[in-house]
Amino acid sequence: MAPATPTTRAVAPEATSVPDGSVARGDPPISLTGVTKVYRGGGGVRDLSLEVGWGEVFGFLGPNGAGKTTTIRLLLDLIRPQRGAVRLFGLDARRDAVAIHRRLGYLPGEFALYERLTARETLAHFARLRGGPDEATVERWAAEFDLELDRPVRALSRGNRQKVGLVSALMNEPDLLVLDEPTVGLDPLVQRTVHQRLRGAAASGRTVFLSSHVLSEAAEVADRVGLIKEGRLVAIERVAEFRARPVHEVEVRADPAAALDALGDLKDVTVRERIEGGLRLEVVGSLNPLVAALAALDVVDLSVREPSLEDVFLSYYDGSAR
Amino acid sequence: MTAPRARGRRPWPRRGVFARSLREERRGLVGWSVGIATYCVVVLSVYPTIHNNPFAKIFQAFPEVLRRLFNLPDFITGPGYLGTEVFSVIAPMLLALFAILWASDLAAGEEDRGTVDLLLANPVSRGRVVLEKWAALAVGTLWLGAVLEATLGLLGPVFSLSVGWAGLSAAVVGSTAFALAFATLALAVGASSGSRGLARGVATALAVASYLLSALAPLASAFGRVAWLSLWDQALGHQPLTTGLRLGNLSVVAVVTVVLLSVSLWGYDRRDLAT
Repeated sequence: MAPATPTTRAVAPEATSVPDGSVARGDPPISLTGVTKVYRGGGGVRDLSLEVGWGEVFGFLGPNGAGKTTTIRLLLDLIRPQRGAVRLFGLDARRDAVAIHRRLGYLPGEFALYERLTARETLAHFARLRGGPDEATVERWAAEFDLELDRPVRALSRGNRQKVGLVSALMNEPDLLVLDEPTVGLDPLVQRTVHQRLRGAAASGRTVFLSSHVLSEAAEVADRVGLIKEGRLVAIERVAEFRARPVHEVEVRADPAAALDALGDLKDVTVRERIEGGLRLEVVGSLNPLVAALAALDVVDLSVREPSLEDVFLSYYDGSAR
Repeated sequence: MTAPRARGRRPWPRRGVFARSLREERRGLVGWSVGIATYCVVVLSVYPTIHNNPFAKIFQAFPEVLRRLFNLPDFITGPGYLGTEVFSVIAPMLLALFAILWASDLAAGEEDRGTVDLLLANPVSRGRVVLEKWAALAVGTLWLGAVLEATLGLLGPVFSLSVGWAGLSAAVVGSTAFALAFATLALAVGASSGSRGLARGVATALAVASYLLSALAPLASAFGRVAWLSLWDQALGHQPLTTGLRLGNLSVVAVVTVVLLSVSLWGYDRRDLAT
C-alpha cells in the first residue's frame, strides 16, 4: 500500500522506505518559493510556496482557473515567474531545463498532437528526443492502455489522444511525473489503470504531482492534497488524516437555547448556524459525545448527513486553522 | 519464408525535430516541386516560338546603349530569356513565398496548435528546436532551388535553350539566399511574438519592398543610392545568370540571415509560451 511519505517542509526529508531504491535521492523533486506569476487579465498564482518530497503523490486541487495549469507550466519552464524561485531536483527550472526534463514526464491539461503523424510515430519522436524507451516498451504501454498505435492521430478520439499523452509521460518511468488533469476523458477502467500506475510509481520512490478539479480523484491517489483558490495556496493536508476523521453535518430540532447550553464545551462539535427550531452542527469524529449531550433534551428531530469530500476537506482545513 | 511477416510493419520511426519537420512538410514540398518544375517547363516550351519571332530580333538589333536605356528584354539568348522570364521576379519570389509560409509556422505554429507543451517537455532546449527546424527549412528551400536548377538546366537543351551551369547555379543560389533570408525574418518575428500572421505579414511586405527598391533603383537616383539596403539587390541585383556568383554580396545576405537566426533564438528563449 501507500508508503509513509516524508514531510519535507522546513526540515530535511526523513529517510523513506523505498522498496527497490531505484530512484536517486537528493534535493526535493519540486520546490516553489514565493512564486508569483500574474497575468494582465487577472489569473495566475501569487506568492506560492510548496515543496513536494520523494515517493509522494501530491494532488493539486482547485476549481478551473484557480492557477493549477499556471503552476504546472511554471514547473515545465514554458512560462517564467515574475518573482520567486522554481526548482526541481534542486536545479533551476529555466537554466537547467534540459537536465530537469531528462528526469521528468509531463502530461499537459490541454494539448494537441501532430495531426499528420500516427500515435506510433509521435511516441517514437518523443522517445528519440528523450533517448528512450524502445519500441517494445512503447507497445507494452499501449497495450496496457488499450491504445491503437498505427492510426493517424487525427482519427483518434479524445480519450485515445489523452492516452498518447499519458504514454509519452509515463513510458520512460521518470523520477517525477507532472500531470495536469490526467484522467479527463478516460473511461473508468483506464482511469483505474492510471491510478494504479501512479501509486506504483510512488511506491518505488518516484514522485507524482497531479492536478485535478475533483477531490475524489485526488484523494484516491494522493498522499497529500493542496488546495489552490484564486491563485493562492489555501490549504495543504494529508489525505489519510482528513479521511480518518469523518465529518458529519447534524441538524437538531430542539429548543436552541437549551441545546446550546447542553453542548457547552463539546470540543469536536461546531455550531454552524441557528435554524428554525434548532441548530445546524458540524461534528468531527465520533457522534457519541453529541448524542449523550442531547439525551437530556426534548429532541423533536435529528438528521445526520455525510457531506461531500470537498466539504470535508474544507471544513477540516477550517477546523485546523481555527 | 516460414515466419509470416508483420503486416505493413515499418521500422520504428525515431525521428528528431529536424526529420519530423521535413516529414510534416513533405506533401508541401512535393506540391511546390511539381509547381515550380511545371512553371519552368511552360516557360521553356514557349522559348522556341519567341526565339524565332522576328519582333524579338528587332530589339536585338538596337545598339547596346539604347537597349540598356529602355531596359529592353533580351529574348534571343538563353540566359537573357531566363533572366527575364524566370529570375527577374517569379522564381525568387516563389521560393521566398514557400519559405516564408513555412518559417512563419516554425515557432508560432506549434503554439497555435497546442503541440509545444508536449514537445518541450522532452529534454531539448528551445534553441535546439528552433535550430533544427530552421535547418529543415533550409534543406527544403535548397531542395526547391535544386528542382529549379535541374529543370532549367536539363530540359533547356530539349527546347534549344542553352544556359551555362555556372550562371544558372549563381542565379539559383541568389534566389535561394534571398528566400532564406526573408524566411529567417519570418521565423524571427514568429518566434519573438508567437504570431504567425505577424510573421507572414512583416516578412512578405519587406521581401516585396526589397524587390521594389532594387527594381526602381535604375530609374530614380534616390532609390539608387540606397539600393544596397535591399537584400534583393544584394542577392540578385547584379544579374547572376550572366555575371556569375558574387561572394561579397552573398555574404551580406548570409550575415543578415545569421543575425536574424540569432534574434529568433533569443526571442524564442526569453518568452512565455502560449497554451
